[in-house]
Amino acid sequence: MASIARSLRLARLSAVSATIRAPAYRAVFIRPFSVTASNAIRKYTKEHEWIDISADKKTGVVGISEYAAKTLGDIVYVELPEEGLEVQAGDAIGAVESVKSAADIYSPVACKITQVNLLLEEKPGTVNQVPEDDSHGGGWIAKVQLTEQGLKDFEALMDADAYAEFTAAESDH
Amino acid sequence: MFHNVDPPSCGSHALGINHKLRFSPKLVTRYFTQNLIRPFQIYRSASSDPYVNLSIEHHLLQSSPPDSTILFLYTNRPSIVIGRNQNPWLEVNLRLLRDGLPTSESQDKKQPIALVRRRSGGGTVFHDKGNTNYSVICPPAVFDRDRHAEMVARALRKLGVPHRTCGSRPGGGVRVNERHDIVVDILSPSGGMFKISGSAYKLTRTRALHHGTCLLSSPNLGSVSALLRSPAEGFIKARGVESVRSPIRNVNVGTEEFVDAVVDEFCDMYGVEDGGKEVLVIREEEALATEGINKGVRELTDPEWIFGQTPLFTFSTHPTEDDPRDRPPSLLAQLPHDFQGRITVRHGEIQSVYLSLSDDPFNMTDPSPLSQVLAKERLHHISDWRAVLSKAVSEAPLSDAFDVEQVGMWLNRMFGIPEPVEGQKERSLSEEVVRAIQESKLGMWLSK
Repeated sequence: MASIARSLRLARLSAVSATIRAPAYRAVFIRPFSVTASNAIRKYTKEHEWIDISADKKTGVVGISEYAAKTLGDIVYVELPEEGLEVQAGDAIGAVESVKSAADIYSPVACKITQVNLLLEEKPGTVNQVPEDDSHGGGWIAKVQLTEQGLKDFEALMDADAYAEFTAAESDH
Repeated sequence: MFHNVDPPSCGSHALGINHKLRFSPKLVTRYFTQNLIRPFQIYRSASSDPYVNLSIEHHLLQSSPPDSTILFLYTNRPSIVIGRNQNPWLEVNLRLLRDGLPTSESQDKKQPIALVRRRSGGGTVFHDKGNTNYSVICPPAVFDRDRHAEMVARALRKLGVPHRTCGSRPGGGVRVNERHDIVVDILSPSGGMFKISGSAYKLTRTRALHHGTCLLSSPNLGSVSALLRSPAEGFIKARGVESVRSPIRNVNVGTEEFVDAVVDEFCDMYGVEDGGKEVLVIREEEALATEGINKGVRELTDPEWIFGQTPLFTFSTHPTEDDPRDRPPSLLAQLPHDFQGRITVRHGEIQSVYLSLSDDPFNMTDPSPLSQVLAKERLHHISDWRAVLSKAVSEAPLSDAFDVEQVGMWLNRMFGIPEPVEGQKERSLSEEVVRAIQESKLGMWLSK
């Protein structure tokens, strides 16, 4: 995700950060219908993507954060990457359009795209509703296979607490 | 990169573009390395080519330092510019586009219109020499969707708009509306809200770009509405972004006075002293000799970007669950009685085709025989549906043969394929776009 969160001064921005600071925010990670959440580790980028990786640290799921989804406003189109695409951390793997703005989505880690969420082609608004849901019907963007470098990239990302602090600081900006 | 975001560079060799342009590096670097380090930069393009201007803009977005703020002004030759995630078959009357615009000189002489897909979001706009575009690239921290539209609105007010726009009628003022467009309100009974400027945005990791049109004195406003109305509008259900139609109007301001007023307003806003108020003019040959811009032009002129980036859509002759609208009866009347058809296209590539005289073709076996033959064909590579259908029917005979000639002609019309001319080779939309670029000044430059 681009630095959109910082960039879009919506009136409701303060409300967004309030939500993020509130303990209820944690509920996102322990949703019972989230298939991998129970044993997955989730981390975040400064560009507002998240990535879950599996217990064996070989595969992952990528999406954009709740904070980013709220700040962007109504998402009307999601451009998905092509399956099989191999990328480095920071490469564009898609884009979302909301309120006349095309914003890039960046890969959090070096990886290969193994599956894309075709549901978003039909229902882009899913990203607004459940951006951090990695289950069937959720707003995840792509499933990936991590490379060795990808795992190193992952280690360097922010955990949920660090990301919450980061976004709080950003919206106070 | 993936295919639907960054167009492959391979397709453009068909344009006859020589990618290894010989150029003098000193000319280029003077503009884009020395000047690019300044905190506030103002550029004006001397090119009127939409592909070049959008590529200069994209180069500025990608190459300028993250904390700099840039104003870029440009005017294009007649063009229809669709948003990144739009559908040209839905947004544009492609046959009218191909016919070009009337000129004052003679009835036979027409001005060509370029078809462009930009990299930012938003809807379709018309450009010509009476429309000037502004673009501001800034750090995300200061970006706001209205900030620079307000800057241009202030410039217009100082130039005497809306008074100049409305003449003797009472004007309600120039303002930025809830869609982040600039409008003038005309208060007389025949008045209303008129759009004079449309906004769109592109956000990257480190930069935010806001660009907008401004209708100053376009002589072609009477042609715009028909150009932006596709015959297939009533049949297409598209993913992605649909344009919002607005009545438009000129503000009756000259290009030079507009440019000066916007530059002044930009400098006031950012506290640029008179000494720093330098507008660098970028000439077309210098732009094209800059590698990043040249690459951008190759990408934007690639038919696989213009047509192939189109989000999933379904063309259906009859109401469906997903698109229950009544279909235009006058257009349906041109088809054989009881004919029904549905074509699904993803990223310009045909996914399925159901064409039939039966009552309910939508319950036919999946995939249909025609789908099996036509799947993976690219819609913009089809030069005549009659030939495509004849071939497909010979490979996959239909139980209910329909008039291939009649249906083929109708599909040609719906998908904007040029009317076949006796004795001339049919051209697909892709070939038409390539030909139009080759015949423009850009084509001559690029083939040098």
